[in-house]
Amino acid sequence: MNGNTGNIADIDLTAGTVTALHLPEETYRRFIGGSGLGAKIFWDRADFSADALSPEALFILMNGPLAGIRLSGASRMSATARSPLTGGLAESSCGGYFAPALRQAGYDGLVITGRAARPSVICIDRDIITIEDAAVLWGKGIGESTAALRDMCGKKSTSLVIGPAGENLVPFACVLNEAHHAFGRCGMGAAMGSKNLKAIVVKDAKRELSLADPDRVKALIKELTPRIREHLISQVLHDFGSSGNLEGHMYSGDVPVKNWTSNFDEEMGNALTGSTLSERFLKKTATCAYCAVACKRIVQVDEGPFAIPEGPGPEYETVVSFGSLLGTSDLAAVCKAGRVCNDLGMDTISAGATIAWAMEAYERGDLTDEHTGGMALRWGDMERVVDSILPMMSSRSGKLGELLSKGSAGAARAIGGSSIDYTAQGKGLEAPMHDPRGCHGHALAYAVSTRGACHVQTAMHFMETGACNYPEIGFEFDLEALTGDKKPETMVLAAAIGCIENSACLCQYADRSLTMQEIADLINAAAGYGYDLREMMDAGMRGYDLKRCINYRLGFTAADDALSPRLLEPARDGDTAGIEVHFEEMKKKFYCLMELDPVKGVPSRRRLVAEGLSEEAERIWPGTS
Amino acid sequence: MSTYYKDADDLYKIYGYFLERVLKDEKIGTKMSKAGIIIKFIYTDPDAEITIDLKNPPAKEGYYGTFYLGPCDLKEDVWSKQPADHSHRFWHGLENPIAGVTKGIIKQGGKVTAMLKLLPVIKPAFKMYPIALKEMGLEHLIVSK
Repeated sequence: MNGNTGNIADIDLTAGTVTALHLPEETYRRFIGGSGLGAKIFWDRADFSADALSPEALFILMNGPLAGIRLSGASRMSATARSPLTGGLAESSCGGYFAPALRQAGYDGLVITGRAARPSVICIDRDIITIEDAAVLWGKGIGESTAALRDMCGKKSTSLVIGPAGENLVPFACVLNEAHHAFGRCGMGAAMGSKNLKAIVVKDAKRELSLADPDRVKALIKELTPRIREHLISQVLHDFGSSGNLEGHMYSGDVPVKNWTSNFDEEMGNALTGSTLSERFLKKTATCAYCAVACKRIVQVDEGPFAIPEGPGPEYETVVSFGSLLGTSDLAAVCKAGRVCNDLGMDTISAGATIAWAMEAYERGDLTDEHTGGMALRWGDMERVVDSILPMMSSRSGKLGELLSKGSAGAARAIGGSSIDYTAQGKGLEAPMHDPRGCHGHALAYAVSTRGACHVQTAMHFMETGACNYPEIGFEFDLEALTGDKKPETMVLAAAIGCIENSACLCQYADRSLTMQEIADLINAAAGYGYDLREMMDAGMRGYDLKRCINYRLGFTAADDALSPRLLEPARDGDTAGIEVHFEEMKKKFYCLMELDPVKGVPSRRRLVAEGLSEEAERIWPGTS
Repeated sequence: MSTYYKDADDLYKIYGYFLERVLKDEKIGTKMSKAGIIIKFIYTDPDAEITIDLKNPPAKEGYYGTFYLGPCDLKEDVWSKQPADHSHRFWHGLENPIAGVTKGIIKQGGKVTAMLKLLPVIKPAFKMYPIALKEMGLEHLIVSK
């Protein structure tokens, strides 16, 4: 096998055993790798009745076929599980350094089941995988744990670590690599925590990659690297980080303010944008493996209540979820909140969005002092957020900590009334910080994303904003942001492209200047799949459809392809004020184009069989033909 | 052949009138001047060049920047090249500049991120451009969706 190693480690933490899982090469080709292959393994292996935090639950880490090649954005990694937050299929993508290290150690992925008897760390040293005691790390923050693991396993080792939130099974707990790069969404940290798994470490291996056509890979890297570096998006990311155009996004109604009650605040846009972050707090930039873009920020806040030493800085999602969403333009506070949240091991989007919901609930009187233990929740009170609320959420301590640790939808259900209406989520996953009322296709994308409201599981975000153009697959639409026109048609392509990106484990920033043909060329040169464009698109669509089938078996139906009312209320401010999002029309047309059953929300038997998913079709549509 | 401009002189006449207003506008001009850069717009069909200097002190009192119609000696910090008709629609708020760059309609070089930061700042000027055309008696050049 080329590109891939053909080796997946099957680790049972209850038994303490490690066995080899070898999948047929054709299975890799049909699902690409990463999230597609993770979904296939989940389908084949999962006990669909098992609770997300039970020992039977699967936690799958999977590389793409490009992991380890020296190209910007080609070495991300995918995690797959049942989400502790949503109950549906969870997937999450992480940059950083773990994917190439695992590939160089000789593995495509890890399938982890069971529950260790005590806190543990999985250590991977080439062909030897051991399960070590991690009691000394339990309870420690991610930064301290990461440093300790590096001391134990060598400077060139790299690790995936959970924080106290993951240990305490907070359903939106995250997993961090090098205390900076996150499997942020869907609660992967709790999935690890439920297995008593504090960390996974790969020791330096530097095994040579086996590539189908090494010369072609080299030529493609040489050809594509300058283009990636010079692309407009890359330049913005390099100069100002992922929040580089926050100010511009604010004007287009993209940036939510005060729990999505507004999407326009000029002063906040100026105060929180990437150039302000660079001017005030940037110490240097940082990267994921082999990346020429360097969008990561290393920041330091020298003085004041939010002083922090030099270390990882906030990305766009964190800036908004701890900034405008909470009603503050205090960028120092945002930096500290992001740092604290990372160290505790919680997804900054879900944490920020849940606190924002609580602030509105308190203002409305739906959340009372009885719920909060007498703690007032006020817009922009960042000292309270940093010093009290985040630690309480991660430890699930006190009434308020226990309530908010459920996430916004869980907390709203707990207090009842109409509070669920002003959560901002789909399938229970808090929406990312891009307001669908500023780009209507995002509403459709969030709703039909299999993991819940998400802007990176499909490519709609970049397609709708004009950041990509794929005439080779028929995407030449000039899309109007504030209408539903051509959005269902775009969504069909976006679903397949998103699955390709997350299965090939590509960075959605770095790959924006690549054509779909070039992505196919890269995969072919590395892994020898021999894709033509159609076959690669089919593989992407197959992955997306399989994920829909998994969600159906986990209890989701067409009715769950929906958004909370807050996300579809006409905006009150700015250029998007009063404009209605015609969500149901878009959804209806998308369902029609995708042959999705209007009740079950799964593809038709015909479609599944045509995609080569006959066994899946039989389970979803038993006894029909 | 351009749909909106007879020739470069025609383009200069329209943009000259428009930029006079933009660079005197207190709300837009103040923010533009903070960019501190020199931008060269290069147009094709008709071939033309306009340079906007937001770096040096304005040449005229009451203005927040200086513009030059036609080639000039100022060294630009950033340049942008596009068909004149595309620019005409852009100033109506009808073109997505990100999509223009993605599709290769707009070429850029230099400090493009600094220019990108100007996009939200100049947004109010989209309303001024059709008004300028109307004031010049060129209503037939106003483009609607």
